[in-house]
Amino acid sequence: MTAVDIRPRAPVSAPSTTPLIAFDRVDLTLGGRKILEGIDLTIGQGEFVCVVGPSGCGKTTMLRLIAGLFQPSAGRVTYQGKPIAKPRQDIAIVFQDYGKALLPWRTVSGNVALALEAIGIPKAQHGDRIGGLLAKVGLAKHADKYPNQLSGGMQQRLQIARCLAQEPAVLLMDEPFGALDAMTRQGLQDEVLDIVGQSGATVFFVTHDLEEAIYLGDRVIGLLPNPGRVAESFPVGLVRPRDQLATREEPEFLRLRRVLFDFIKAAEA
Amino acid sequence: MTVARLAWFAGSLVVGALIILGWQWIADAKLVSPVFLPGPDRAWAALVRGFASGTLEEKLFGTVERMVYGWLLASLVGIALGAVIGISAVARAYLAPMLEFLRPLPASAIIPVAIALLGLSEGMVLAVIAFGALWPMLLATIHGFAAVEPRLYEVSRALGLSRWSVIWKIALPSALPDILSGMRLGLTIALILAVVGEMLASRDGLGLWILLAARSFRAPDLFAGVIVLGLLGFVSAMILTVVEHRLLRWRATR
Repeated sequence: MTAVDIRPRAPVSAPSTTPLIAFDRVDLTLGGRKILEGIDLTIGQGEFVCVVGPSGCGKTTMLRLIAGLFQPSAGRVTYQGKPIAKPRQDIAIVFQDYGKALLPWRTVSGNVALALEAIGIPKAQHGDRIGGLLAKVGLAKHADKYPNQLSGGMQQRLQIARCLAQEPAVLLMDEPFGALDAMTRQGLQDEVLDIVGQSGATVFFVTHDLEEAIYLGDRVIGLLPNPGRVAESFPVGLVRPRDQLATREEPEFLRLRRVLFDFIKAAEA
Repeated sequence: MTVARLAWFAGSLVVGALIILGWQWIADAKLVSPVFLPGPDRAWAALVRGFASGTLEEKLFGTVERMVYGWLLASLVGIALGAVIGISAVARAYLAPMLEFLRPLPASAIIPVAIALLGLSEGMVLAVIAFGALWPMLLATIHGFAAVEPRLYEVSRALGLSRWSVIWKIALPSALPDILSGMRLGLTIALILAVVGEMLASRDGLGLWILLAARSFRAPDLFAGVIVLGLLGFVSAMILTVVEHRLLRWRATR
């Protein structure tokens, strides 16, 4: 992994920075069922927020609200102070099911080109941009392959590359590594930290892997189910850059791991 | 080509040759009157004669033109209509019952209606071909558009693709395999209806040639026409296979 030119972040970044995304007493009812209730949450510019909670607690629903794919039934979800009325091109989503989110009939470069076409980049600039993006996610040699010729990890890298093509200010990641094996997952975690460190993007990362949440996040949000609501916010006091071995052995990591396990256990009870 | 495939290919050639030999034997032994059944030798001679004089070529061209125009018309209407219906759940709900009623209707059953409306004209034949060939394409396109992965629509929304881009870049390529299989079925139907149409409306083509040959007991000409029709069906299906392989390259790359 190339963890070379990462800007060191502040060790603990609670929402001390300027607020970018805010949930303001948000309720969401879908099909007569209350999915989210009274969500209040502020996410700072450049913050890496991980969201955990038992299944059915509305993690993904919160992500879709920021994405503009859902509208709140009550309250507001704002981006730079303005309500998010529809999807924005500077907010990119990485879906868990990369197999379904990629276009199987387009090559690796073609899939990245889709995002460039969407934001109206002239065709002449596509080659350079795509080359740069694929190099960033380690797919430079596979530009002419089709998604079904790639491994799961490579397909997810491709989806990330397509999202980066949007030059997003916010990355929404919905259990992006849930379907990958442990080694691939760790590699991708470091790549995401790398990429985010370089671009300064704000990240909203949904996961059911508590250690992943601690390893990646500046803050871990714990949700409770039925209806989904924010229960607790756990600041992560771990220095960056993080390291798969050293970080995971730190007392702070182990302490948070214990706290979060207890939280989830209580939430599921 | 692997040895096994080569063996299969050789085997199929042998079977074909045996059938032709059997046909020759039946004709030579006069098991069927030569008035009705010429041997492959006489059929071949008629075929060569037909092409040498240019008549058969002309008839072939007439039938191909009719088949292709009718088929293209059906494809255009089928894909456009199918896309509109397939993309909208509301349109599907309203139109599906009527389509289900019209679909099993044999295209030949509407020929009298078409004749009443359009007369024994070229337009009538084209209309009948297009009507018959329309259904497989329409239904396949509806299915293809309705079966687009919902996640891809979300991806399009997140990327901010325009409505037109979504249809052109997401839905159409996703539905393409279905559309192509519909077009393949439609082509077969178009050929059948081109021949039937020629026979009924006396339009110049292979169908009429066969009919006239049969009526005047020119059995070798009749068989020559049937052979050309068989080849036409075979070649057109092959062209479609090649096109399909090119367009669906991504599927074969597993």
